[in-house]
Amino acid sequence: MAKAFKYGLKGISGYLEPAERDLLRGLLDDVISMLESDVRENEDPLAALIGLDMDVKQPSDRALLRLLPNVMKDDDGGSLEFRQLTERSVRENKIGALRAAALGLDKNELVLTPEDATRWSMALNDVRLVLAERLDIRDEADAEHIHSMQDWSQAEDVESYLALVYNFTTWLQESLVQAMMAARQAKS
Amino acid sequence: MSPSVAYGTDIDERTKAAEQSSTDVLTAPDIPWNLVIWNDPVNLMSYVSYVFQSYFGYSESKAHKLMMEVHKKGRSIVAHGSKEQVEQHAVAMHGFGLWATVEKAASGNETPGKGGRQRG
Repeated sequence: MAKAFKYGLKGISGYLEPAERDLLRGLLDDVISMLESDVRENEDPLAALIGLDMDVKQPSDRALLRLLPNVMKDDDGGSLEFRQLTERSVRENKIGALRAAALGLDKNELVLTPEDATRWSMALNDVRLVLAERLDIRDEADAEHIHSMQDWSQAEDVESYLALVYNFTTWLQESLVQAMMAARQAKS
Repeated sequence: MSPSVAYGTDIDERTKAAEQSSTDVLTAPDIPWNLVIWNDPVNLMSYVSYVFQSYFGYSESKAHKLMMEVHKKGRSIVAHGSKEQVEQHAVAMHGFGLWATVEKAASGNETPGKGGRQRG
């Protein structure tokens, strides 16, 4: 079984079994391919270089829209303009964090630098956001319902399996954030 | 947001402590744009609070207070500045997976840092 992340002499460390690492790697890869899916070859190399994407659209997939939300509530034009200027770099940053986390899954014991820990927390959070959309978690009651499923013998269909995976990533992230807070307090 | 299973028992006490702290950083009245963070049922309360501390440099109590405001009122204004400044913050918040928007500050009827109702 996985061990929660903790802060100690080595910094932030955690422990994952091979099956858990495979599971996480699969989840991280899924979110990477979602974010990469409609990155197009940009005809204008200068625009690509400075991160512009004039052809960008609001994502139609809810999960992708949650990762890349509109920046203005009631202004689609303003939100689109913001996407043209920034979405490419937000995607690339997210993909960078997800890749870094996936690459760190090469051994059972994880020892994270503060920068690793930040990337891990961002990557796990994006994985959870995507799983939550797939599980249709819309409000706190939905979240509580999903959260109540903790027993792996309950995994009898795709939804219950996803719910258990979601709860595992939640547990892992909570322990990581607590370890990051402990590291922060130890420094100050 | 999603409360933690294992660590969430002292929230009420911490809220009381946080309420006594000041919000002096967020008082400049003449800056026209707000960064708003919206509640969602997924992001962990601890994570949101951590992001407020590590990115904005807010104290633990202030970060906690803002996080609880997001959780209870559905949204909170966590920073303000020029349009460019709050948009830059929004990019960073989207990077962290927080649901952030920017909006023009209403003329004086919403105190930054104290949240309030959604603009009509």
